[in-house]
Amino acid sequence: MTATYRNVIGWYLQRITGALLVVLLAAHFWVEHFMSQELRRGDLSYEAILGRIANPVWQFIDIAFLLVALYHGLNGLRNIVLDYSRIGRRAAQAITLVIVSAGAVWAWWGIEAFKKL
Amino acid sequence: MSALAVQVRKYRGQFTGMTAHALQRATGLFLLVYLFLHVRTIHELSKGPAAFNAALATFHHPLFKLLEIALFGTVILHALNGVRITILDLGLGHDRQRRMFWAYAIGLGALLFLAGAIPLFLSAV
Repeated sequence: MTATYRNVIGWYLQRITGALLVVLLAAHFWVEHFMSQELRRGDLSYEAILGRIANPVWQFIDIAFLLVALYHGLNGLRNIVLDYSRIGRRAAQAITLVIVSAGAVWAWWGIEAFKKL
Repeated sequence: MSALAVQVRKYRGQFTGMTAHALQRATGLFLLVYLFLHVRTIHELSKGPAAFNAALATFHHPLFKLLEIALFGTVILHALNGVRITILDLGLGHDRQRRMFWAYAIGLGALLFLAGAIPLFLSAV
């Protein structure tokens, strides 16, 4: 697969994940910031959050949301870094590798939050 | 015509597009930093109730209600302008891209922001 073709896929996925995030983020804000009485009163707690995320469906949605957001955010970061740097192919690959690795650790960091529920 | 007027005329047509482009990048980076801090807090769930409630205690300060409202505004701006970019990428509305930014991303964005920010603010006071 040529580099150009890969870049087109990246561009396309940025739009797809962006569209998904509009829906997921609107739902997230609605549920967590507007409908959550605990958060609105300012006394959010472990117990209040547990009530929602003990449900496996919410765990699935939250983890999928995290992965889509991480792809979109880190791909955006990569676009910005590569846009402002005049570097060769190898250096660009190294930057991609660093960002992908950071994304993998970051995703695991988020998913681990659910391990004791 | 003064040199300044020439420059203004030359770049006037590019101002909206460049502003939208810079704003999309700045808000995107801000949201990525926010996501990092957010996951850092949520990760405390894995350490049990005491650790997580201790992590949450930081956010009971009223300042965080204002930051929550700022986050809400940033999300609206990035999302609406992102939809505008996607519409342009589909080959639609190129002759209206400036109006789409001001009327839709900024104008509609401001209305959505007020509709959400007012109840968020009132619930805290």
